[in-house]
Amino acid sequence: MEILQPLLRSMETGSVYALAALGIIIVWRTSLVMHFAQGAMGMFSGTAVAFVLNRTGAPLWVAVLAGAVVAILLGFAVDFAVIRQLKRATAVGKEIVTLGLIMVFMGLAPIVFGTDPMLLPKAIPTGEVEVAGANISYNAILNITVGIAIAAGLFVVLQKTKLGLAIRATASNEQTARLMGIPTKTVTLVAWAVAGVLGMLAAVMIAPTTTVTPTFMNTVQVSALFACVLGGFQTFYGPVIGAYLIAVASNFLKLYGSSVWGDQILYLLILVFLLVRPNGLVGKTYLQKV
Amino acid sequence: MSETLKPQTRRWLGNAHLQYLLFGAVLCLLPLLSSSGVLKASTLSTLAFVLIYAIAAMGLNLLLGYSGLISLGTAGFMGLGAYLAAYVQDDLGLGFWVALLAALVVPTFIGILVGVVSLRVRSIYLAIATLCISEILLKTFEQAEWFTRGTAGKQSSYPVIFGVHTDRQAMFVVIVIALIAVMMLTHNVVHGQLGRALHAMRSSEVAAQAMGVNILKYKLFAFALATLYAGLAGALYLFFLKSSYPSTWNLFLSLNVIAMVVVGGLRSIFGTVAGAFVIIAVPELVLKELPVIGDIPGLPYIFSGVLIVLVIMFFPQGLQGLWQLVRDAISSRRHPSGPGTPRATAEVEPPLGTEAVTR
Repeated sequence: MEILQPLLRSMETGSVYALAALGIIIVWRTSLVMHFAQGAMGMFSGTAVAFVLNRTGAPLWVAVLAGAVVAILLGFAVDFAVIRQLKRATAVGKEIVTLGLIMVFMGLAPIVFGTDPMLLPKAIPTGEVEVAGANISYNAILNITVGIAIAAGLFVVLQKTKLGLAIRATASNEQTARLMGIPTKTVTLVAWAVAGVLGMLAAVMIAPTTTVTPTFMNTVQVSALFACVLGGFQTFYGPVIGAYLIAVASNFLKLYGSSVWGDQILYLLILVFLLVRPNGLVGKTYLQKV
Repeated sequence: MSETLKPQTRRWLGNAHLQYLLFGAVLCLLPLLSSSGVLKASTLSTLAFVLIYAIAAMGLNLLLGYSGLISLGTAGFMGLGAYLAAYVQDDLGLGFWVALLAALVVPTFIGILVGVVSLRVRSIYLAIATLCISEILLKTFEQAEWFTRGTAGKQSSYPVIFGVHTDRQAMFVVIVIALIAVMMLTHNVVHGQLGRALHAMRSSEVAAQAMGVNILKYKLFAFALATLYAGLAGALYLFFLKSSYPSTWNLFLSLNVIAMVVVGGLRSIFGTVAGAFVIIAVPELVLKELPVIGDIPGLPYIFSGVLIVLVIMFFPQGLQGLWQLVRDAISSRRHPSGPGTPRATAEVEPPLGTEAVTR
């Protein structure tokens, strides 16, 4: 039974899911909104990357930078024009708004970037190394490194910097944080922009395995949501762990269970897991205040 | 209502069940208009889909309006209802009623299982769990060829009901009957003992719980009813269109149904039908005909998405609230200091708007 090869491959998809899940959790913690449109917004800015690359022939890093600008602007726009105006709406109302945003972005993408499916090449097109009998491409190593580095970098920022403190304070209690002089509006604005960039990176990393169409981020979105459920919504690192676990489980189920039904079995397992540990792996008990 | 009406007539017209029946009677005239050529055949189809989706949306309205829960599984449950109906009627040859029963019972059963698992935590988990189930069902529709014929699409035939061979127009009437039944059932649920519990739950879950209302039970009931309606809508879809393809039952359909509820107005029965009309018929009948922008491929998506965002941002009461405003404006013009005005302030509260955010 091969173990190392699928494990390495899972680390690559796990990094994609982890980035998307981090975007969801940072928005959840600061704005208290379940960000259903994370995948759709990532798809939009990811498609922008492919568009710039295919139309101008610019190098990939330039296209990714352009995509990051698009992602940040989108994040700003959504928070500034929509979410901030919903301060008085219920949590459900806000969630429905992010569901509406899915439709808006999926409808807009073909209008803005054209209906032809595009391709996005790997950052490092060829080459692989052998590690203990398993092969791993340079591109996969890059993706894994980027995923882990960004997750680690985000934790450092959250724990060690002033901005991180502001985000954590906003996450723990928005009202008190505002009373303490934290510009919570700026914090949520930054959170939405960061989520946008994370979604864009996830899109750029997953795109070479498929074609860039409006639906190419759907699996990532679903997996990222499940990663949050699995890891719990109370911590920033829980969903990252959840993301890698889901990727590993999905790969092994597809390889040794059923190549067709692997993901479906995984989804059922997650539902069963909810019965056992409703608050996630590292979640604390959830108390509702009256 | 006109001033000349007698009080008795007015009371009759105010009776909700009679309103539903009248509404149904008017809808039943549409196939006649179609066969006489006034209404295009394609328009009749579009209207049939409006009514079918209104049935699915009615269940979601109950769920969202009273328990604040979102289901992203409407499409999956509808699809399951459709394929079950086709499988039981055409493959097993058991006839319309057994097919309908299967399309009602199986999705509801799965819905209850999903509800039991996910409703114990926090309400948002239902959305994620139903998304989960919807993905599983969609994959099933694509892969389980013995059941669904996969991406080639399942073909069916018009059912035989009470020995009568139906056709497109007869199926339209069947859909109308189902919709009216669903409207009445929903009305009774909302105005009965269940409705009181649901109302109590809506204003404060904790208070309702303290008064002895079993929150989990009622949330589960609301969700079960939503899946039941979705199964029914799926079966009607199949019997009307006589075919079903996996790509129909994707996330967008579920989102569209949510859009119908939001646009129509929460907890409004007629509003839901109006919402379904706006979301399904307006892009099909109006937007498509527009010059230049009519050809844009993703236009219906953007239309629904933008409507969801705008309605929640600026007018959370939806069409129901708009209707209320119009009615109050008319009655206050008739009686300048009349009874129209205080009602508006007392009863209209933005359902998705100004409620405290509970963490």
